[in-house]
Amino acid sequence: MAVLAGETPDMVPIVPVLDGYFAPKVLGRASDECWLNGGCLADCLAAALERFGYDGAVAEMGLGPQPSVLGCPVEVEGNDVPLVVENIIGGREDLDRLELHDPWAGGKMEPVKRLIGSVGARAVVLGTVRSPFEYAATVRGLIEFMTDFYRDSEFVRDLIEACKPATLAVGRALAQAGVDALVIKDSFASSSMISPAHYEEFAYPAEAEAIGELKTEVPVILHICRNSMPILPRMARTGAAVLEIDAPVDLAAAMEAVEGRVVIKGNIDAVAVIEKGSRESVEQAVLSAIAAARGRGPFILSTGDSIPISAPEDNVAALVEFGRRHGKYQGAEPWS
Amino acid sequence: MELIEQFQQAIVNGDADRGADLAEAMVTEAEVTPDEIMDSLARAMEVVGGRYETGEYFIPEMLRSADAVERSLAILEPYLFKRRHDQAGVVVMGTVKGDIHNIGKNIIISALRASGYEVHDLGVNVSTSKFINKVKEVDADLLLLSAFTTSTKPALVDVIKALEAEGLREKVKVVSGGASHSAELAGEVGVDGFASDVKSTLAVCRRLMDQRRE
Repeated sequence: MAVLAGETPDMVPIVPVLDGYFAPKVLGRASDECWLNGGCLADCLAAALERFGYDGAVAEMGLGPQPSVLGCPVEVEGNDVPLVVENIIGGREDLDRLELHDPWAGGKMEPVKRLIGSVGARAVVLGTVRSPFEYAATVRGLIEFMTDFYRDSEFVRDLIEACKPATLAVGRALAQAGVDALVIKDSFASSSMISPAHYEEFAYPAEAEAIGELKTEVPVILHICRNSMPILPRMARTGAAVLEIDAPVDLAAAMEAVEGRVVIKGNIDAVAVIEKGSRESVEQAVLSAIAAARGRGPFILSTGDSIPISAPEDNVAALVEFGRRHGKYQGAEPWS
Repeated sequence: MELIEQFQQAIVNGDADRGADLAEAMVTEAEVTPDEIMDSLARAMEVVGGRYETGEYFIPEMLRSADAVERSLAILEPYLFKRRHDQAGVVVMGTVKGDIHNIGKNIIISALRASGYEVHDLGVNVSTSKFINKVKEVDADLLLLSAFTTSTKPALVDVIKALEAEGLREKVKVVSGGASHSAELAGEVGVDGFASDVKSTLAVCRRLMDQRRE
């Protein structure tokens, strides 16, 4: 928590995006078993933190923060990722189909509380929620949603506005459950998908508003996948304490762009390095990240995105091992 | 500017209304051949794909152009494809089980339709049996398997095995595609070709159709 409070910790904190996609592997469980049984997921996430020894765990609510919170059916099977099986918004006339379900209902917060009970005394626990823009894209369907940008921009704005209560409700519930910080995921706002102008027009307003409200409860981490470099200065003005950046972003340039005003978290490639790389390539990636961050502001070593279930456990262990070895602060000179 | 050039520009700009008007004009007023129209559509989608590669266009702009293609084709299809053998080939396409990425697939489908293929879109998270049944039903020339992430490799392998078990493997050419695809992955899975963008998909489909005709 020191880095979130603006203090300089002894070591570079290590908080990989090790969430419900990878964690079931640690206890040899199937993904669907864990997504449908949040207690199983909490146990896997706690076991992962215990095994690898990083500094922060990502709490999952099972399928709780999925679009099901807005009445959108979500299913999961085997080791597949959870999938929306029906996009409930076919057009403006369906806006009243968005029905906000209580995030506390059906024991959805129990896995979060269980994880906090297991590891909260020795590690930071992060809660994850989708941004209004991401909820809107998911309940509408990504193709239709992005086609609407030019077909009916007013509808896009109205839909995002209608989804905002879900972000706020899930975020507040996670804060009340006791997470130390919230991760707001706005993956589709990436400059790998939409232009910076569309980010400004559609994603940013609701994103900034949600962060403004939720940061009164706990610090907020803003996650945007793939290339976020063109919008990074704007992201830094959302009120988020931390920006989680993905592998395609030049880490040194990103840290210079935000001028130390926010913490940068990132950006080891979860696929090329952690899933497909070797122990040597993990060490090289860690060294490169630490060299890029050195002297440029507050930093958390992390993967840029979720670690896939097919990643070898040895590479996750190597990420932590080399992060500890190379990420030591030495007085005024940040890291050896 | 020639009518056909204006039409191509309308598709690149994603102006569906103008594209539809020009399509109407081409089939009723102007002496533009089906081949010229197909070339123009294919070139337009290549320009759109190129602009995405260079960062000038993003996903919504590509979808806007894909929408314009669909609108124009609704007008042009009766003129362009009078008989099945006029078409470039029959394609079945879908995103494999466990994957919900559909943007790339939809862009590719528009580009294929713009290039004269009859495309049957099965959507996302498609089961192996659904692929097999559709290939049989429409007597497909090509089966395009969209898979964004490498974790879908088992699903790709499953489709190939099922095609073999059904005695269809020699009858249909299989192409896998997605941002993370490589020659190595394609070799491991056992497909006939792979592609990672609009241009390479059109090229590999052309090559495989040429092989089928030899």
